[in-house]
Amino acid sequence: MDGIHDLGGKLGYGPVDVNEPEEPFHADYEGRIWAMTRTAKAPNITIDWWRHIRELVGKDDYLDRPYFDSWAQTHIASMIDGGVFTFAELENGKSETAPLGQVDEIDYDGVLALNNTMAFRFDRPVETTPKFTAGQSVVTNTSGHAGHTRLPEYARGKTGVILSYRDAHIFADDSAKGDEWAQHLYTVSFQATELWGEDANPKDSVSLDLWEDYLNAG
Amino acid sequence: MPSFDAKKITKIHQHLHSHLPSDTALRVKALETILVEKGLVNSESIDRWVEVYADDIGPKRGAHVVARAWTDSAFKARLLEDGSKAVDAMGYGGPASGHLKAVENTPDSHNVVVCTLCSCYPFSILGMAPNWYKTAAYRSRVVREPRAVLAEFGVKLSEDTAVHVWDSTAELRYLVIPERPVGTDGLSVDELAKLVTRNSMIGTDRDLKAGGI
Repeated sequence: MDGIHDLGGKLGYGPVDVNEPEEPFHADYEGRIWAMTRTAKAPNITIDWWRHIRELVGKDDYLDRPYFDSWAQTHIASMIDGGVFTFAELENGKSETAPLGQVDEIDYDGVLALNNTMAFRFDRPVETTPKFTAGQSVVTNTSGHAGHTRLPEYARGKTGVILSYRDAHIFADDSAKGDEWAQHLYTVSFQATELWGEDANPKDSVSLDLWEDYLNAG
Repeated sequence: MPSFDAKKITKIHQHLHSHLPSDTALRVKALETILVEKGLVNSESIDRWVEVYADDIGPKRGAHVVARAWTDSAFKARLLEDGSKAVDAMGYGGPASGHLKAVENTPDSHNVVVCTLCSCYPFSILGMAPNWYKTAAYRSRVVREPRAVLAEFGVKLSEDTAVHVWDSTAELRYLVIPERPVGTDGLSVDELAKLVTRNSMIGTDRDLKAGGI
């Protein structure tokens, strides 16, 4: 989706605030929304559908409201969409159904242990052979599509080199539609001059992790 | 079941835009209240999660990984070969460490990490991402003019130093291994870890200082 989230290479966003305090949280709500997204998810949601919901946040909300605000809106939308609660229940703060689950309190060490189990892997065995090998030249697709995709606009129609094959990973574009299947994934390196023209330093590169469907023989 | 229907989501977002309280804290509170009502969240457990991410799960984990890589060449080889396995063995597994890739700075190359499409970050070893990492300014600019962005962070690079930007567009997560500062021979792993800054593991810091112990 060619949305506001596809920010790579866009101009006009100004300097980076490098003086931000190093504390992990700058407001109480940041930690709370973070923790809720770890522990309570809409049934059968995929990470890619969640990301697509976030991309669909209106452009003003996406750019101008605090970062975790858009997480809150995304998480709320995912739960309304997934039938966990309704607008009315959210507004009234009252459930109109019996509880959907029961969550016991866990202590600090319990959280640490649980967090340790959350390293989800996205690689899956596949029967097909990868089309490309390290060192090979590839050209990326020139256009995207209306759904969720992970080929950013700035890297479309560009020539790069396969840096490494990364096994087959769940394909984000289809996982965002609930269809989880794995496709060969590669790290592809692009010279900065290929992406940005002669103003870039010829020594510099940008590398992206790209699925085979995004790539064509160069 | 999720609808997987973008039009439905757009309508939900429009409704939320008009009806949610304007204040972010109140929006988050509304979500917590209904999730508690539904029996899906326990507020005391949420408190513990916040504490864990404030204290234990943060850049000191990554710093320990880097310091160990500086002092133990076999570990460094394992880290470069399979970052997830190496940090798992240290008890640092967790969200977004399923496919961890370590990239190493050298005297003539510098690495810097971004997620231009959202905000992917190796949470389990670096903790919460700094806000600047998630801003439009960083995400838009660091792929296009990395040297200008790095200069804002005070990183000075010669024209001959190659800058490699890693855009986290799939589920690989990147950890930069900064160069070990000179004058640190004989320091223990714990002492070395104190020299490793969070930003150096993202790539927005480069020349670590030997002093300060």
